Amino acid sequence: MTDEQPTYTEAVLRLETIVSTLERGGMGLDETLKLYEEGADLLKRCKSELATAEGKLNELQLDEIESELKAEKQ
Amino acid sequence: MTGSGQVTTGPLPIGQFVQLIKQTVSHDPLFRNQALKGEVTQWKQYASGHTYFSLRDQDGQMSAVIWKGKCPIDPSIKEGSEVVVIATLDLYVKRGNIQLVVQRIEPVNVLGELEKAKRLLIEDLKQEGELDRNRLPIPAVPKHIAIVTGAGSAALSDMHRLIDNRWPGLRRTVIGVLVQGPRAPQEIVRGLAVTRSLATEKTAKERGEPPVDLVIVGRGGGSPEDLWAFNLESVARAILASPVPVVSAVGHESDVLVSDLVADLRASTPSDAIERVVPSRNEMEFLLDEMDERLKVASRRQLIDCRQKITVLHSRLRVAPLAGLNRAKGEMMRIASRIDRAARQTLSVQSNALARYEASLAAVHPQRVLERGYSMTQTAEGAVLSSVEGLQSGQDIILHFADGSADAQILKTQKIEGTK
Repeated sequence: MTDEQPTYTEAVLRLETIVSTLERGGMGLDETLKLYEEGADLLKRCKSELATAEGKLNELQLDEIESELKAEKQ
Repeated sequence: MTGSGQVTTGPLPIGQFVQLIKQTVSHDPLFRNQALKGEVTQWKQYASGHTYFSLRDQDGQMSAVIWKGKCPIDPSIKEGSEVVVIATLDLYVKRGNIQLVVQRIEPVNVLGELEKAKRLLIEDLKQEGELDRNRLPIPAVPKHIAIVTGAGSAALSDMHRLIDNRWPGLRRTVIGVLVQGPRAPQEIVRGLAVTRSLATEKTAKERGEPPVDLVIVGRGGGSPEDLWAFNLESVARAILASPVPVVSAVGHESDVLVSDLVADLRASTPSDAIERVVPSRNEMEFLLDEMDERLKVASRRQLIDCRQKITVLHSRLRVAPLAGLNRAKGEMMRIASRIDRAARQTLSVQSNALARYEASLAAVHPQRVLERGYSMTQTAEGAVLSSVEGLQSGQDIILHFADGSADAQILKTQKIEGTK
């Protein structure tokens, strides 16, 4: 991963930290809201990431896909 | 037996003709004690002690027999073995079949040579540090898997079936290559080159799909010779050249292949590869839902705590000196309304789960009180009673306990003096 978006694994780890912190309690209002919003955002991203894994099934012979790729280059 | 001069006198009985062939063949030294090489097929050892098989190569084949006890048989010889035999051609006159009668049979040590080359390659790769390199991490959610394997193979259908069990419709591209025989190494190398191309942002964009982020290369099990492509340097280098993680997924039990050593993940079979890299979508969704629930419940509890602190502050303000009261009160009102707004906006609106949680909180608290031995009294109409005021002798009431309720009747009422 070269960009700043966390990977799925990083996102889930961060979520776990956020939830545990909230469960431990003792935070002020600002902190609570900040953590909740960050957590909700991470959850949204993780869920949409699951959806992006779905897609087409391509099954091609070596020669076919090689000529497809060659054609795309031109 | 007649000479050739008599052939023209009439049709020759077939038995005599076959006998003639047999004589000709058995007199020719070319067909006696001849050393022959080829591959063993249809290898069958019968209970009678005789062993039948065919010896073949790409140009031809012939049946052969080893009569019981006529020659020692190396136990490593099996279907597909390359062997050298010393044999004599024999013709079974009754059926007109010819076969080789084997006097000696030895396996050819093809593997010996290959093993040596493999050892040298492993040594080289070790020296270059390739065997200690940092492996690329397998993505938690692969968005585009490339599978390089035999098209139409059982291994491939196993993989498809397992993927669709774990993650129906997971995006994948299969590149069908030869995984056995002399052309296999080159095809596998080309297949891996295709995956490198599919892993680039540019190609992915042109094809309108996410870049390949995981490669599985492999095949089902076979003899060591069948799997040999996966021990060759060209294939090892192609695996090492991959910008995305590669899983070596060749069906084999004990012996490690070079592809296993250089890949980012080693699987023992193609199916094993799928189980190790394709997560279960149901499980993942369940974990996220659970996390969602925990996040909302914990946040809500925090907000309730904050609200309670304000309530405490409020009661303290009531006895506070008049000076500063208004300022503090204003501050308190602002905080309280902010909490209420936050709770409504960020939580209540977004989550039915929260509504359920609130409902359960309401249910839980009186229950706890009842468990401590208190009871709650209601009129027959359901109004909760907190005072004896207005109660009449003979009136029906309901008493609620932690574990049930009792219908009762007022005998008489008594009010404690000085209470409101």
